[in-house]
Amino acid sequence: MERAELRRVALGRSAPAPEVVSWLALALVMALALSVGSVKVAPAALLAALGDGLRGQLHGAVDTIVWQLRLPRVVMAALVGAALSLAGAAFQGVFRNPLADPYLLGAASGAGFGATVVLVFAGAVPWLARLGVPLAAFVCALLAVAAVTLVARRGASLPATSLILAGVVVGSSLTAATSFLMMASRDRAAGILSWLLGSFAFASWERLLPVVVLLLPAALAILAAARALDVLQLGEEAAAQLGVPVEAVKMGLLAAATLATAAAVSVAGVIGFVGLVAPHAVRLAFGAGHRRLLPLAALWGALFMVLADLAARTVVAPADVPVGIVTALVGGPFFLALLRRQRA
Amino acid sequence: MAERVVRRTAFLVILLLALSSALATSYPIVVKDELGGTLTLPRAPQRIVSMIPSDTETVCALGACDRLVGVDSLSDWPESVASLPQLGNANQPDLEALVALKPDLVLTDEYSGLAPRLRALGIPVYAGTPQTFEQALAFFGTVGRLLDRQAQAAVLTGRVQGQVAAVAAKVAGSGPAGSDVSVFVELDPTPYSVGPGSYLGTLLAKAGGRTIVTASMGEYPQVDPEFVVRQDPQVVLLMDAPYGQSVAGAEARPGWSGIRAVKDGRVVALDLQQVDMLSRAGPRMGDAVVLLARLLHPGRF
Repeated sequence: MERAELRRVALGRSAPAPEVVSWLALALVMALALSVGSVKVAPAALLAALGDGLRGQLHGAVDTIVWQLRLPRVVMAALVGAALSLAGAAFQGVFRNPLADPYLLGAASGAGFGATVVLVFAGAVPWLARLGVPLAAFVCALLAVAAVTLVARRGASLPATSLILAGVVVGSSLTAATSFLMMASRDRAAGILSWLLGSFAFASWERLLPVVVLLLPAALAILAAARALDVLQLGEEAAAQLGVPVEAVKMGLLAAATLATAAAVSVAGVIGFVGLVAPHAVRLAFGAGHRRLLPLAALWGALFMVLADLAARTVVAPADVPVGIVTALVGGPFFLALLRRQRA
Repeated sequence: MAERVVRRTAFLVILLLALSSALATSYPIVVKDELGGTLTLPRAPQRIVSMIPSDTETVCALGACDRLVGVDSLSDWPESVASLPQLGNANQPDLEALVALKPDLVLTDEYSGLAPRLRALGIPVYAGTPQTFEQALAFFGTVGRLLDRQAQAAVLTGRVQGQVAAVAAKVAGSGPAGSDVSVFVELDPTPYSVGPGSYLGTLLAKAGGRTIVTASMGEYPQVDPEFVVRQDPQVVLLMDAPYGQSVAGAEARPGWSGIRAVKDGRVVALDLQQVDMLSRAGPRMGDAVVLLARLLHPGRF
């Protein structure tokens, strides 16, 4: 952190802002992800397909592949990555705990349970089939976090320790229930597991729309709380003395981060590590101030997820690897390397 | 004698010809699949993608293997499908490659979410794959109708039913009533097994056997190792042999030295082909019942 600051001072004004570099890098990575796939598409055909898509006139298989499969998949990966990373940064800020991640309060295990119930019983219970996996996952994620919050509440305040403990316990119970359902219906186990490990294989414009609608207000709310989060790092008492409405800020941030997490998980499954790795990477590179951290964390989360999904669909092509496996495999060592560099 | 054979062959040929003209599919057809989705086929599909191994087998058994343009990665029978492009599986499909093949019919399951996704892309798809013996027989008819192979479907159905009937005739009265051979089917060493209501459980019943698992335990229960010893099965089928379990290893398990299957040397390691045949509700169901009957009643086959 100091070294980065020194470098910035030494380079003076000629160094471009990290925000600009990150936006450019994200655009570049998204263009790369758009041009690579199991079907080879020449750059000219790619541009033609994008033009056809923008005009709303799709002709042929290449147009379908680029406009209806690849582009929504890349955009969805970017949005989900940004959402999870932003939510992770918010959770870490609120709890002042570096190990906090978007799934701390049970959103992932709730979503996993909801999705599994639909996948197992949709054949026997028609209304579950109509409800569909994404909506069931979204609702159960919110319910799980609501249950955790209710259990942990002490009057008007939300003590961090009880929240974390309740989150762990509710999470383990729901995970156990999910595992039981999975083992009891072995013929569905493969489908459940591939949902739980996360995938963008079924991304589409129709699925993207509700995610955008839910994410935008949640992301704006988190970004707007940057100053309050900075003050909160001094401790809750100190922040209260400085005039920050601590409980209201905490609840608002937890609600917004939970909404973002639930929206992301409902369409992409439980993708781990992004919410932990991306914000910490930004912190290590650019410092812990939330006004810089939050937007950069969103950008880096998007970048990381687009790259991870690109790896997921190309490394063992033609098969797709669940993207959650890629994020964990790549994110873990990357994170450890960052940690070592920081200590050195 | 020779004359009779000629006459019977001629009769069969005429019957088949008559059947095929009577059972021709007249396109366009509109079919509802098991998700309630509507599939419209303007003509007989010529570019078929199958995302389920047993569906691949059914298409080929109906003589339409040459119309397949892509299959899932587990489809391995008949051997000719090995040269086709592989498209992952229904849960993790390679959608780009699938779309690029421009299929005019995709056969897939009803659970994975692949069917609605393809339907949204305007690709003709039939969602629904058989889980039971009876469903598989009905599915031959459905695919026969979709592909204009109805006569072949009738013949296939007859052949499978004939195989099962022949087995039933041979194993019937093999002993006093209720003396079906008791079998422990091991799906994996934890151990998971099959109940009488499961697909393999029903095949065992057709082959003159019964699983030691009771109906109340469910279709694919994890059983207590003590339960296996107590039930004292006459035959053990190691479905996990292709994944590392051996007869010697199984026989050395605590308490197993005393059970009948071990004492009589009737712990059977199945190979991958046999495991596939026993697991897929498709055209090789009759062969699967014959295989089981041979293993359970070696003296009669």
